[in-house]
Amino acid sequence: MPQKRRPNPLRAAFTGPHDIGRTPPGWALMGLILLGFLLYPATASAFSATNVAYYLLNIPMALGLSLLWGYGGILSFGQVAFFAVAGYVYGVVAGNMTADPTLGSILGILAGLGAAGLLALIFGYFIFYARVAAWIVPILTLVLALLLSTFLGLTAGSAWKVGDVALGGYNGMNIPSLQIGNFIFQDYAFYYLTVATVVLCFIGLRIRVNSHRGQVLIALREDPLRTELLGYDVRLEQLVAFVIAAVLSGISGLLYVTWGNYITPSVTSLAQASLPVIWVAVGGRDSLFAVMILTFLLNQLTYVLSSAGNQYALIITGVLLVAVMLFAPEGLIPRLIELGRKALRLKEAT
Amino acid sequence: MAEIVSLLYQFGTNAAFLLLAALGLIVILGMMNIINLAHGEFMMLGAYAASAAVHRGLPFPLAVLLSAVAVGVFGIVLERLVVRHFYGRELGALVVTWGISLILSQGTLIAFGPFMAPIAIPGGALTVGVYSFSTYWLFLMAICVVLLAGLGWLYKATEFGLQARATMQNAAMARALGIRVERVYMITFGLGSALAGLSGALLAPTTSIAPFMGQQFVAPAFITVVVGGGASVIGGAIGSSSLLSLVETPVSFLMGSFWGSIALLVTALVLIRILPNGVSSLRLRRRTRGARG
Repeated sequence: MPQKRRPNPLRAAFTGPHDIGRTPPGWALMGLILLGFLLYPATASAFSATNVAYYLLNIPMALGLSLLWGYGGILSFGQVAFFAVAGYVYGVVAGNMTADPTLGSILGILAGLGAAGLLALIFGYFIFYARVAAWIVPILTLVLALLLSTFLGLTAGSAWKVGDVALGGYNGMNIPSLQIGNFIFQDYAFYYLTVATVVLCFIGLRIRVNSHRGQVLIALREDPLRTELLGYDVRLEQLVAFVIAAVLSGISGLLYVTWGNYITPSVTSLAQASLPVIWVAVGGRDSLFAVMILTFLLNQLTYVLSSAGNQYALIITGVLLVAVMLFAPEGLIPRLIELGRKALRLKEAT
Repeated sequence: MAEIVSLLYQFGTNAAFLLLAALGLIVILGMMNIINLAHGEFMMLGAYAASAAVHRGLPFPLAVLLSAVAVGVFGIVLERLVVRHFYGRELGALVVTWGISLILSQGTLIAFGPFMAPIAIPGGALTVGVYSFSTYWLFLMAICVVLLAGLGWLYKATEFGLQARATMQNAAMARALGIRVERVYMITFGLGSALAGLSGALLAPTTSIAPFMGQQFVAPAFITVVVGGGASVIGGAIGSSSLLSLVETPVSFLMGSFWGSIALLVTALVLIRILPNGVSSLRLRRRTRGARG
């Protein structure tokens, strides 16, 4: 077998074919956006930096769904289930180790992400190794999220106490912040932690989708049977993508609980379960970059709308979703770029 | 004796609930390969229409029929405006109907407030030994049988049924033979929506009527559909609803309704691991094997 030329992973992240923004102007734009986010706290209060961190912290979950759905062709409606599992497990572990907050934080992170990954591994085994039809995966993951929400709602009362931490049912659960030594991740520090996490997840996924494994994932989106005939284990590839997406949801869950120091079963309700799908579908599911930008903007929009007491937030996002699916099924940002290119070409032609 | 009757009654209620919750969904999925995630909201609309009609003084049976027709018409409008653009794109249809469900439930909340006047359960109770049973649920079980028989007749014995089954098997060939495939899809979606509205109206007296009530039907309805599979619409519906309630009844009897729904999910996971194409594939497989041998 001839030796394959393996591209440098970092180079692949910036020049690989499987995302928009792989040309120098594209990198310049990404660099400028990042620079803007890095400089933002200099002009903003700790309060607004914390708010912006909130708009950012769902991005890893959305990127995971983009990998799964946009690149792998596997739609999941249950990403919030892994978000909630990571959040609750972190809360239980860190909440029981308040005597040693550093160790509590680290073990909490590992246990939270591990639990989310393990749940995805078990659940994904049953789904993908059964080779179910494509429409069954979203339905079963949705049912998982809804049942998890029901279960967590039942955990009120003293019977549901893990060590010193009460799960609290619909009253929710209090959760300690991330802490390393005497340093607590709050305000600006939390903001920079979130930005760094988002950047790492983004670059990591750009490397992943432009690597050999990413090619295989895209191939099985296009034609699972042909991919299998080329010698790849389709079930395993799907399961791995599912677990990666679940762990990324878990990262968002960890950021969320350490941001608000609080979690309730409503994070995995039906309305919440719809949000990642909306961000990814509206942004443009097969572009990590577009998903990242749109997730930020839509989070900001819903936060501003709902904190103004506006009950139309859900309707607006619903209408947006239906309109985008009807008129720009490839997503808003890819469509805008295409329109922009067309306009430029027209100008050159005349 | 009384215990056996009681268990049978529980089993029947659970099966009837699963069947009613899933019927409209199964018709649309089996015939068109479209999953209508707004199904729960269609049932909610049916319940709202029934409640509004009953409180305007209409008799309950008439209110139920009226809601079925209203939701059916609504479904046809939606099919023309949105759903028909997604034929052949399963996942796109899933996502877009979800968007519709968000708009419907939140829109209902804004338009009619968080609660709707409840409907009293019609009919009385029957007593066997120490147990008493609501005649309304017995009536619902009978309705299920009637609905299934009606659907069987529609699809097996009528001209439309023949065209629909031809469309389901091979839409391109059906079109070439002069069947108006678009119209078959439109009617099927309308029928599925009407069934959802009918079920919502029928179940309305047994539950509280609220904008987000559709959610409680989502999990059971979809599990029934997943287990049933798409190969034979009616066979799958009967098979999976009775199989699932066979598991759910003892578990919820012993451990409460939440563990009953967990048992539903676990059963579904294990069943699809064994039978990826659902219960209905069993019958189909045997039939093809018989034909070969």
